[in-house]
Amino acid sequence: MPHKCTQCGREFTDGSTVILKGCPSCGGKKFLYVKVQDIHKDVLEEKTIGQIAEETKQQFLEIREEKSRNGSGKEQPRPRSIEMYDRIESITVLNPGTYELNIEKLAESDELVVRMGSDDKYLVDIHSMGMSGKKKKDRSRK
Amino acid sequence: MNLFIRTKKRLSRFLSAFLKKRQSRIGIYGPPNAGKTTLSNRIVRDWTGDALGPVSEIPHETRRARRKEGITISNQNGNSLTLDIVDTPGVTTKIDYQEFVEYGIEKEEAIKRAREATEGVAEAMHWLREDIDGVIYMLDATLDPFTQVNIMLVGIIESRDLPVLIVANKIDLPDAAPQRIMKAFPQHPVIAISGLEGDNMEELYEHMLKVFG
Repeated sequence: MPHKCTQCGREFTDGSTVILKGCPSCGGKKFLYVKVQDIHKDVLEEKTIGQIAEETKQQFLEIREEKSRNGSGKEQPRPRSIEMYDRIESITVLNPGTYELNIEKLAESDELVVRMGSDDKYLVDIHSMGMSGKKKKDRSRK
Repeated sequence: MNLFIRTKKRLSRFLSAFLKKRQSRIGIYGPPNAGKTTLSNRIVRDWTGDALGPVSEIPHETRRARRKEGITISNQNGNSLTLDIVDTPGVTTKIDYQEFVEYGIEKEEAIKRAREATEGVAEAMHWLREDIDGVIYMLDATLDPFTQVNIMLVGIIESRDLPVLIVANKIDLPDAAPQRIMKAFPQHPVIAISGLEGDNMEELYEHMLKVFG
């Protein structure tokens, strides 16, 4: 089921990880699961998301800060969703055979040769990284 | 025939070493399955009678950049331009071996393909840094051009100050909408073609002469 931000009404697809950081439009932390057929109900019937929540008796999904989650028995805090361009890694191995590529990082990195090892570690040719010192400076300035 | 080509190659290598002038290298970039290899094959075939690589409906068929050197294109006015064409692997932000499994490829082979495709994208992005002098950005005109990859990649190409030509491919298909691509990238010339059928290739060559010449 898709969800909607209770503050601004922005829609998010089911399983959207964007909302883990709060609504990107208004920063709202409360979301409501809405049935697919009711997705435009708030607009069509001029109701607030709160009113729809009362009608459908759905629980709000509230995004809490990391600290409060730690107390709930789980030792490991869940990794925060990070925007693609903030990631340090240019290639993330999600599973063996599943990779996430950070195109911007790949475009600016000095790593010339990347090879995926059989155990999904990736090997980088250090020699090729040392070749263009000038460009490294440019990167650090950024 | 072979001897002729070999002699020609040797001669052109000798000449380029002598003149020390590097031909501009044009990279064909774009998302997977946009028709990059089909277009590269057509360009190479049109001007040299050769081919560059196999084409497949399975995404990431091209997992290593392939290059054809010394292609001279010309128009009726006598303008000509010699360039190297580089066909690159489709750029994407996620590669999953499951994608290949769906096409009936065995799991192990699929994982290997995913790995190779990942290396290929990394390599293609690195080429963009210093080895490429101009870009043909290839898009499937039946699909929405507003994707993260397209916007990011065109942005990266612009930040490198490389001349760009955007190609709206697959106009032979009924639901192709090259206008959408023109609207999405009004800052660049957009040429609508069918790499498969060879429609509108003349206009593409004309623009290549203008943009990369």
